[in-house]
Amino acid sequence: MNRSSLRPAVPLVMTGFLFLSVLLFFADLFIGSTHLDAGDIIRSLFGHGTTQGGIIVMQFRLPKAVTAVIAGAAMSVSGLLMQTLFRNPLAGPDVLGVSSGAGLGVALTVLTFTPLFRFTSVSPMHDWGLILAAWAGAGAVMLVIMAVSARMRDIMTVLITGILLASAISAIVSLLQYFSNEAMLKTYVIWTMGNLGNISWPQIRSLAAAVAAGLAISFAMVKPLNALLMGETFSLTVGVRLKPVRVTLLAAASILAGSVTAFCGPLAFIGVAVPHIARLVFNTSDHRTLMPGAALCGAIILLLSDLISTLPGGGHIIPVNTVTSLIGIPVVLMIVLGNTGLGRRF
Amino acid sequence: MSKENIIAETSGLTIGYISHGRESRVMKDISVRAHKGELVALIGRNGSGKSTLLRTLVALQPLLEGTVWLRGRDMASISSTERPRIVSFTSTEPVAARNFRVREMVALGRFPYTNWIGALAEDDNNAIEEALKVTGMQNLAGRRTDSISDGERQRALIARSLAQDTGLLVMDEPTAFLDLPGRYSIVSLLRKLTREKEKCVIYSTHDLDTAINEADRIWLMTPDGISEGAPEDLMLSGTLAKAFESPLLAFSQTTGTFSFKRQKQTGISVEGTGIARKLTERALHRAGYRTEQDALPRVIINDGKNGTEWLLIKDSSSERYNSLYELINHLPCDDLT
Repeated sequence: MNRSSLRPAVPLVMTGFLFLSVLLFFADLFIGSTHLDAGDIIRSLFGHGTTQGGIIVMQFRLPKAVTAVIAGAAMSVSGLLMQTLFRNPLAGPDVLGVSSGAGLGVALTVLTFTPLFRFTSVSPMHDWGLILAAWAGAGAVMLVIMAVSARMRDIMTVLITGILLASAISAIVSLLQYFSNEAMLKTYVIWTMGNLGNISWPQIRSLAAAVAAGLAISFAMVKPLNALLMGETFSLTVGVRLKPVRVTLLAAASILAGSVTAFCGPLAFIGVAVPHIARLVFNTSDHRTLMPGAALCGAIILLLSDLISTLPGGGHIIPVNTVTSLIGIPVVLMIVLGNTGLGRRF
Repeated sequence: MSKENIIAETSGLTIGYISHGRESRVMKDISVRAHKGELVALIGRNGSGKSTLLRTLVALQPLLEGTVWLRGRDMASISSTERPRIVSFTSTEPVAARNFRVREMVALGRFPYTNWIGALAEDDNNAIEEALKVTGMQNLAGRRTDSISDGERQRALIARSLAQDTGLLVMDEPTAFLDLPGRYSIVSLLRKLTREKEKCVIYSTHDLDTAINEADRIWLMTPDGISEGAPEDLMLSGTLAKAFESPLLAFSQTTGTFSFKRQKQTGISVEGTGIARKLTERALHRAGYRTEQDALPRVIINDGKNGTEWLLIKDSSSERYNSLYELINHLPCDDLT
């Protein structure tokens, strides 16, 4: 009996989910708040559609769907890394204040340097400035959380630290808002609502590059991540060099969550909920399966959230953050109230 | 035992902690050894430093002075990638994952041998199968680690340690949380590993019974230092008794067991034979009586129609009881306080 006969379903489920994500991707192109003729959409994809169809599909729906895939995968893998690293089933970029940290980075750029780096600017320098600021903010919060988790093994303490950090950051941001002008403020407030659709193609290229790097680093860490499931003592005794591994994981999680937050705003509950959905679906703790699985589930759920957000029709959309919260909160509640409670297992 | 059979040896070792740049020493001048194919039990009172010593042996804790030799090599010269092929460690640290299978856990023992992604080669799979077989965990290999009993989980952890394919296995309290049959089953498994696989197993325990009966060698930690030898050596020299005896506890040097010290003041005589007599005496001792010839009160054991009966004869009266419990509760007890 080998590994593959133990879980014959994994490749099958993975293929099914891949198919589902492709399906949702196209659904996201075809269904929107404005009705478009299906033939027009297909022709637009190949550059032969009507002017209106071409603009909506190529400048709005396609970038939005691509962003949903990238952001969903990135936030989910970031959450997975944090949960294993902190041994905390409720860890996630938003829950522990990492998204807020990234937001502070964004606020510092948007609210203070807007004349230099306009948010709607297409200059790649601006994009990378924003990304770097978000990484720095996310990484700073991550370091504080790491320090607290190392001292206080209690999950609640770490969560409360995350909440306090987020509050402190929002206080700083309020201060920045107070001293910034109206245009800057509007740009920032729109950003905080979370939006997959405000991203230009050059920005998507920057985001994709950053997320690809983050995912590559994450996947290179699957072996030590699996060892960490057995605990830090075990990891040390089988030769895991804990310090560099921790730093790498923190960096990868910050890059993933920070890059997405920089462009899409704080996406609520994707990072904390999706790893649990992936564990449930793939029925494993092995990061070799769980990591691509979580990325796939994240893409699917964000595409789905985006589809739901267009449901009102007639040009109206629900903020995507609202939808992800409605999907994510029940999952988080399930973990809190579940039979394992807030135990150290996940 | 010849010199080349020494798997682990310490000389002049000082163990302890370093925190905030300050050393706190737990024990000084530890010089012990363990050989190939040997089961070594590390015993000592709570807080005597058992875990600290074990953690120092696997480099989880810095050694403050002295040397640890693993297979004749100074541990300080062994790299962190080579050490896991020489010594494995099992602690009481809980496993974080819920849907973790026994086989996946055992497979993690192959960590030092697998490639960057942890893919299992044929050698790895063979080692995992063998470890599952030896520990009797083959049938549970597909089970989740949170759905098996404490004893089974301990076996799985031992299998994981075994899959790591090291000559030395160090285990911190592998029998903690287990009931008596569970403890014996784990210790006899450890013993089997030393006999059939020629492993050297060093484990810490609070279970003196199994340690004295099964271990080849005991490392005994006392506030005065560490003593080592066969269990019987430590019994004969009185070291064991000295380490664990207290005003309430007496150690029998011949059987290696402990019993409560009792104030056996009142004399009582017992008439009867066999197991019934032995158990009656035992119950009387617990109640604070000393058995002696011709004393009063007297207990006469009879085989009556309804099983064993006890006749209690006091100065003037006699009473009949159907159980030892009743007998004990009707004994005069004014001087037992």
